[in-house]
Amino acid sequence: MILNPLQRHLTSVFLKIFLRDRRSIFFSLFFPVIFMTVFSLANDREQEPINIGVANLSSNQVASDFVQRLSDSPVFNTVTGESAPLREALIAGDQTMVLELPADFGQSPETRSSEINVVVDAAQVSQLGLIMPVLEQTLLSIEREFRGIAPLFTIAIEDVQARSQRYIDFLLPGLMALTLMNLSIAGSGFNIVEYRRKGILKRLFVTPIEPKDFITAIVFARMTIVLVQLTVLIVLAVVLLDIRIVGNFFAYYFVVILGTVIFLCLGFSLGSLAKTQETIGALGNIVIMPQIFLSGIFYPIESMPEWIQPLAQLLPLSFVSTGMREIANAGAALTDILPSLLGIAVWLAISFLAATRLFLWREVAS
Amino acid sequence: MPIIEVCDLQKQYPLPDDKSQKFFAVNGVSLSIEQGEVFGILGPNGAGKTTTLEMIEGLNDIDGGEALIDGISVRTNPYRVKERIGVQLQANEYFDNVSLEELLSLFGALYHRTIDPMALLAKVQLEDKARAKPAALSGGQKQRFSIACALVNEPKVLFLDEPTTGLDPQAKRNLWDLVQGLNEGGMTIVLTTHNMEEAEELCDRIAIMDHGKIIAEGTPEALILEFAPEPPEAPLHGNLEDVFLSLTGHGLRE
Repeated sequence: MILNPLQRHLTSVFLKIFLRDRRSIFFSLFFPVIFMTVFSLANDREQEPINIGVANLSSNQVASDFVQRLSDSPVFNTVTGESAPLREALIAGDQTMVLELPADFGQSPETRSSEINVVVDAAQVSQLGLIMPVLEQTLLSIEREFRGIAPLFTIAIEDVQARSQRYIDFLLPGLMALTLMNLSIAGSGFNIVEYRRKGILKRLFVTPIEPKDFITAIVFARMTIVLVQLTVLIVLAVVLLDIRIVGNFFAYYFVVILGTVIFLCLGFSLGSLAKTQETIGALGNIVIMPQIFLSGIFYPIESMPEWIQPLAQLLPLSFVSTGMREIANAGAALTDILPSLLGIAVWLAISFLAATRLFLWREVAS
Repeated sequence: MPIIEVCDLQKQYPLPDDKSQKFFAVNGVSLSIEQGEVFGILGPNGAGKTTTLEMIEGLNDIDGGEALIDGISVRTNPYRVKERIGVQLQANEYFDNVSLEELLSLFGALYHRTIDPMALLAKVQLEDKARAKPAALSGGQKQRFSIACALVNEPKVLFLDEPTTGLDPQAKRNLWDLVQGLNEGGMTIVLTTHNMEEAEELCDRIAIMDHGKIIAEGTPEALILEFAPEPPEAPLHGNLEDVFLSLTGHGLRE
């Protein structure tokens, strides 16, 4: 056992305090879960079939083949009917698009091509880019069949990277990095100021406890809390939202543990500097806020303005979230993310030095 | 040999108005307290009582002089001294959501001891509150619980900083009984108070401090005889408040 009995006892007390504080548990899980759910719902909506109406004025075989193929396509939810009511449905927003097949559709293909009239509402025009290729593909295959020619080539797609491109997959590692930062800074920084205000630190200082016992206990308790909360988030994400994590879990949690130590040390530094709840609130915001927006949690750092990118990439949360994302989304091994690990190592050294310089028992306690 | 020996203790702080200047918060305090005594330190606010106690307890740096508890120097061996003393501070808040029983076990662990929380709670008449949280206690119960926390290491010396401030008369008497009981068991007790009745009731000897110095020291009876104003005609008795006011003046302090 790495902990002595006193450190073990104190760790278990800190864990009890957290477990009995239902509100903190709720809030530390609430926001990531809400974010994940909202973005994954937004994701699912795009895959819903597009409503199209087909007014078939022609009675020949080619036209009904065409309508049948549209109905079979998973991309479309096809309704057939008269032109006028379908146009009304389009105006009401119930249809995205109405296709009118002329009476001479598919007749005498050798001499001239048929024209399909596509009626759209301008507000829906953004989906045209998605619909038109499918329409053209459907027409093309009918034409091939009609003329009795085989396609010159087919395309076989082979996915080599098993990397998911969905936004929710991009978001999850970042949200987890954000959660670990918040839990860590709250655990060391905010709690220390609270314990000092209540005189608890002074009371502890009267006993023979040494600072290293106190700090070790906080670090181990918070580490446990972070690991459990993040595991709960992963399980929720995999079970409810079908998120795929392709990387190695040991590598992933290795980065999580290093990140937690960085932010616990930063928290100890802030908690030692700030003497009141108001100051720690302000200092905490100065450290936390820019990192939420600049560390590539919600969108990639590469999509930010050029001039801010070098700065954003140096933030501790950037290194942690980038490392976690490369492991989770691309299946990177620890040896593949050496730049992130180097950044993490530098921040570990900086934050550890700051914490040990600033956290002086005698001064922090009184 | 006295259990507490304090010799020419000094503490300097920068002046609040002019940081380049310093003043003596404690200026040459010497004390000698015998095993088994109840010793009171009285004085107006800002006289240096709490600073003196904090230096003896190892909470505050000693700028000059020496303090020995049980023959051990606080300056060179603060951790060995802390193992031998129990301290009740003026602030008595604890971790949220942790019961009295669990807190006492924790305090035991801080001294590397496994203790029986129920026995300690019984000692301060809080057995029925074992599962309560400190926030749910009344003022008197909080003070008694603070004393229980200070007893987990079976200390040789117990320090109490204004133990009855803010308590109602019943709770105050109850706490006096507790302190007297502990003292009868052989424990040395050092307390500060603004309550002259308390000092007269509890203390074997008293030191009165002002401006960082001890200005009078002795048994309550001796101090009354020496400093209380003589009655014009026979039967009048002074009390300690007379002593206190005549020594430190009537001017209001901070």
